[in-house]
Parts: sequence; structure tokens; C-alpha cells
Amino acid sequence: MRTTEIAIIGGGPAGLRAAISAASMGAKVTIIERNENLGGQLVKQTHMFFGSQKQYASTRGIDIAEILLKDLDKYKDRIEIMTNATVLSIFEDGVISIEQDDKYLKIKPQSVIVTTGASEKFLAFPNNDLPGIYGAGAVQTLMNVHGVAPGRSVVMVGAGNIGLIVSYQLMQAGIEVKAILDASPRIGGYLVHASKIRRMGIPILTSHTVKYAHGTDKLQKVTICQLDEKFQQIPGTERDIETDVLCISVGLSPLTELLWQAGCNMKYIPELGGHVPVRDKDLQTSIKGVYVAGDVAGVEEASSAMVEGRLAGLCAAKALGHATADFEELHNDCIEQLNSLRSGHVGEKIRKGLEQVAM
Amino acid sequence: MRIKEHPILSFSKGRKVQFTFDGKAYEGYEGEPIAAALHAAGVMVLGHSHDKQRPRGFYCAIGNCSSCLMVVNNEPNVRTCTEPLKEGMVVETQKGKGDLR
Amino acid sequence: MLEKTGVATEQDLARVTPSKERRAKGPVAVIECFQRIPCNPCQTACKTGAIKEFKDINDTPEIDHDACTGCGLCVSSCPGLSIVVVDETYSEEEALVKIPYEFLPLPEAGSFVTGLDREGKPVCRAKVVKVLNTKSMDRTPVVSLAVPKDMSMTVRFIKLNDYFSDNTIVCRCEELTMGELRELIRKGYNTVDEIKRISRAGMGPCQGRTCRQLIMQEIAAATGTKMADLTVSTYRPPVKPVKLGTIAGGEHGE
Repeated sequence: MRTTEIAIIGGGPAGLRAAISAASMGAKVTIIERNENLGGQLVKQTHMFFGSQKQYASTRGIDIAEILLKDLDKYKDRIEIMTNATVLSIFEDGVISIEQDDKYLKIKPQSVIVTTGASEKFLAFPNNDLPGIYGAGAVQTLMNVHGVAPGRSVVMVGAGNIGLIVSYQLMQAGIEVKAILDASPRIGGYLVHASKIRRMGIPILTSHTVKYAHGTDKLQKVTICQLDEKFQQIPGTERDIETDVLCISVGLSPLTELLWQAGCNMKYIPELGGHVPVRDKDLQTSIKGVYVAGDVAGVEEASSAMVEGRLAGLCAAKALGHATADFEELHNDCIEQLNSLRSGHVGEKIRKGLEQVAM
Repeated sequence: MRIKEHPILSFSKGRKVQFTFDGKAYEGYEGEPIAAALHAAGVMVLGHSHDKQRPRGFYCAIGNCSSCLMVVNNEPNVRTCTEPLKEGMVVETQKGKGDLR
Repeated sequence: MLEKTGVATEQDLARVTPSKERRAKGPVAVIECFQRIPCNPCQTACKTGAIKEFKDINDTPEIDHDACTGCGLCVSSCPGLSIVVVDETYSEEEALVKIPYEFLPLPEAGSFVTGLDREGKPVCRAKVVKVLNTKSMDRTPVVSLAVPKDMSMTVRFIKLNDYFSDNTIVCRCEELTMGELRELIRKGYNTVDEIKRISRAGMGPCQGRTCRQLIMQEIAAATGTKMADLTVSTYRPPVKPVKLGTIAGGEHGE
């Protein structure tokens, strides 16, 4: 059976950063990525990132992916990259099973860092399965990775950061955004994103939701309606919007299947997007040698995912005996960065969630 | 519909290839997902659900949801949102859960 | 309310608007960033120290307008595209507003576009003075717009199809353009009748049926008068074009 020191499951921002930091400490790392390319969801983020210089603020997500790949290349003698490789399971003895190009493989790592990210939440309304109704991430993949327009016009459900950013990106691709709806009475995403959309004349309808989708073989029209303060539909407020695309952006849930299999102690924390693993300050779960970083540990921004990845990489390498003189300094730097990214008003929810999973 | 110009991105595409969908000839770029090529050609309905026969299209685009299962070169249950397009592929709408051969 | 609408209120703007005196001195950055989020590239980009050092990365930017030179480095560095530079010294009647613009096609210098406010409503026409798109701006070009001076704190985006265009025909019979009409209004011809006498708009075969309303709208917009309060034109006979001979022939049967 193949072996490695640290297996990293998922080659997105958290996984890449984890690989770079673990390898920089001297550990032998294997990245297992189900896609053909590394970079995860960064490869479709055309907007400039927030944060500070340490988290590549003001640089576009697509370019951050390039920077990470260059950094990765510096340690290529210690980093093995497996693409088109999907982890199927983590067994109790720590063995990982993988499907790669229709072949079945097993690896026995000494530690594993799970950076599987998150998947998009769905919304229940009649005809929600019609072609033309997509997750916001799918629309991003289709237009920003493949260069294909999802349709002519779009109604967006969800005014969180993803909903606002994807709406802006749709306009950049020349696709009309008819309206952005959000069930909440307040805009959830950054207000600068919201203002940037409003300047283009796109309405953001807070306290609104989609009630019904119409169409026979594909979406033709949606009925929207207003919600009261208890999120109940207000009769008589229905109106129709003709559109061939409805984009759903109502949040993400951590992709934790592998952590459940590994036997990690999990808790349901709505502030972090759903079930997440309990972890210590080194991002190690209740199972020794199983670390987490990024959205799988709690849905946040990519900036914090990268810092978490770096932290998990450092700690996993140190636990295997790869200590460097500046470990404490690097470790503290990660903790400080995370604290500052989460210290604001928007980070309040995250802080509340994290308090409940700290070990 | 293909996006012709973009203020941030430039799309590097593979060479043009021919494929068929339910017997009709289509064109796409080598290496792009089959479903993306179909979508660019205006094909939104990739199949029907096996029980209630409801139309199914692209939903997640990253191989999570299996809304895009089709028969490709006689092989059923291919996730066309991630499966790369190749010259001469025979793509068909899948009926039911697909036949094992 | 900003959190509900995404549009800054007057109170929000009052907190970040440079004083009238400062604006009268030359270009200055206006930072419309009102929410505590973890983000500081504007501060890092500022070379003059006008944007003060953040104590916490979540601080909203604090700018010393007097120390700001209006260089605009912060404009394309802001991930939220929330910064513009306003220069009210541009000309006697116009101010320059520099906005980030990440769309294609880019407007061409010298062309006219429609200026939009924070809700995307058309508010005036704007002349594109310059389009700056250097490598360091990393695909966030900055478009300099000349707008009427009183629009400097209102125009925040543009639409390229310029329905305020100077070349737009207002009176199709006499071929009066929007640009000519504006020039006349600017010279003080601000009733439909005055415009008619000087330009012949309304004296053609349609007798004003196509242009009258457009002229009134433009006068209303330019002078800040309500449509209802404008002086209506005089309606003289005949209300329909007739052959001179018909009239010269005298009353039938006379």
C-alpha cells in the first residue's frame, strides 16, 4: 500500500495552503483532488478578495490560485499531487480509499488534513428541479470556467456575498440580472457588494422569496412574493418575473461525510453552516491525526480558509516531528490573522459558532 | 451561448470537435464538459428523472448532484457536467436508471 | 436604510463627503464604505498617508481629506469598488468624477454616456474625459467623467447607451438635436415658444406633435422646473398642414 506523511483531501485554497506550509516544515505531503485541476473554487472567483495583504487582499481569486500553485511548486520534491482522484472513504485504521481514472487505490498516511469544502444548499418550492434553475456556484463554473452563458436573464435568490458577487459577475458576462431576492429583511453580504449592484440599477428585494417556478421543459417565469417578519408569505404580494435562469444562493453546508466516517466528534452549529467537527486550537479533530481547515470546518470566507489551511499544515507537520525554530512565531501569526479576520461585526456569527466547537 | 468578450477573463479553448446528441450533430471544444458544450448549443434538457419523468438540466456543475447523467458512448450514468468532451462522442439522453452492460 | 436597500442614505453620505471648501480646492477621494468588514487595501494603497492606519482590519477607512491629493490609487485597489475621486475644479460648470468600471466595452474618451446615481437611475449625461487602464490597475480601469458640477456627489456609475446624447434627434421635422437644444436652453431660451422661434422646432409638418414633449422634458430637467409649472406653447391655427391654395381659394361657395 502507498504511504505518505500527510494526506490532504481537497486541493482548494485551504488544502493548497496546508500543503505548502506542511511541506515548508519538511513533511512529505500528498494532495488528493477530485478535479482535473487544483485551486478549488478559486478558479472561478474573478473578483478582488478582501482581507489584508497577508491574505492576498485586492488580488483576484483566479490569480490567488496561480500564486498558490507557484508556491506549491517550490516544494515539488516533497509534494505529490493526485488529480482526478476522489477519496471514497477514510477507514478507522486511517487508510484512505481513492478512485482515480476508474482505478481503486489505497493510501495509508500518518495524518490527514480534510479540506473538502462545502456544497450549496437547496431551496424547496414547486418546480425547483426545472432546467434553468441552478446553484450560484454552477452558474459561476459555467460562465467563468467554461465561458458559457447560463441564459439570457437571471433572478438571483440570496443576497449574501455569493449571491451579490455572482450577480455582478453575470453582468460582467453580459447577462441581465432582473432582481436579487432575499428572505431576510437585511442584506447578508458585504454592503459594498450590494451598493455596486444597485448602481447598475438592479433591485435587491429583501423580505422576498421565490414562490413558484413556471415552465414545461425549462424555466420560463418565476412567481415571487413578499415575506413578513416571521418569514411567512404575505398573500396578495405575488408577482411574476419572466426569466430563463433562476440562481439559488442560500448558503453552503460543510462537506463532512469523510469526517463522520473517520469517527470525528461532530456538532450541529447553524452559525457555521451545519454539522462541523469539534477541534482544538491546532485544528485537530477528536481523532488524533485528523485535521480540518476551510469550509468543511465551518463556512467562512476563502481568506480565513487559507489561513486555517496554513495553520493545520504547520501543526500536522510539527506533530510528526518536523519542528522548525520559527514554529511558534508562524503559529501565532496564523492565530492572530484568524482573530482579526473574525473580529468585526460580520465575524460575530463565526465567533459564536466557533466557541461551541472548541476542544 | 458562448461568452464572447469578458473584462476579466480570457477563455482558452481546445480545438473544435464534432459529437452527436440523440443522433444530431453538434460542435464543441475538446476538453470542456459535455454538458457545457450542449448548453452552449442551447440544449438545456439533458434527460428526464427515472420515475416522474421530469426534465433534468445542469444543476451543480461540479459533479455533486447527478442531475446531468447521460449515456455517453453507450455507457450510462456519465456525469456530463464534468466529463470532458472528445471528438466523435455519441451522447444520448438516458432513459430510466441506465442499463448495465 | 443601507442594510435593506444597498443604497447609502443621506446620513451615511454626510459622514464621508468632503467639505464644500475642500472640494473647491481640487481632486479628493470619496470613500463610500460604511460597514465594518475585514479589509484594508485602500489604506495599503494610499501613498500620502491620507487614509489613516487601521487599528483593526475591520475598521472602516478614515481619510483626512486635506491630506488627500486625489491621486486615485485607492480607487482600483478597493475590492468593494466603493471609492471615487471627485474634482470640482475641472471647469467652470463641470466636475470630474473618476469611477472604477470593470465592464466591456470600455467607453471611449470623448464620447458621451448616461450618468447614473447610486440606484442606477439616469441623472445626467456625462462626457468621458479619460479611461485609465494600466497593468497595475489589474483589470479595474478608472473612467473619468465630466458631469454638471452639482452632480459630483450623485453620479456613481454609467450606462454606455447615451439617451442624453447630443446627437439624439429631438425634432425630426426640423432636425433639431439634443445637443443644439441644450445649447439653446443654456443660453436662456427656456420656454417651448422661445425654442420654437429660434430653432423652428415645432414649426414643421408635424407641428410639434413629436418634439414638444421632449423639449419640455429637457427644459424641465435643465432648469429644475416641474413639467406642470412650465409655460405651454401657443397653439396657432391651422392645427393641420393645409395647401395655401385651399385657404387662398376662400370659403367654399363664397
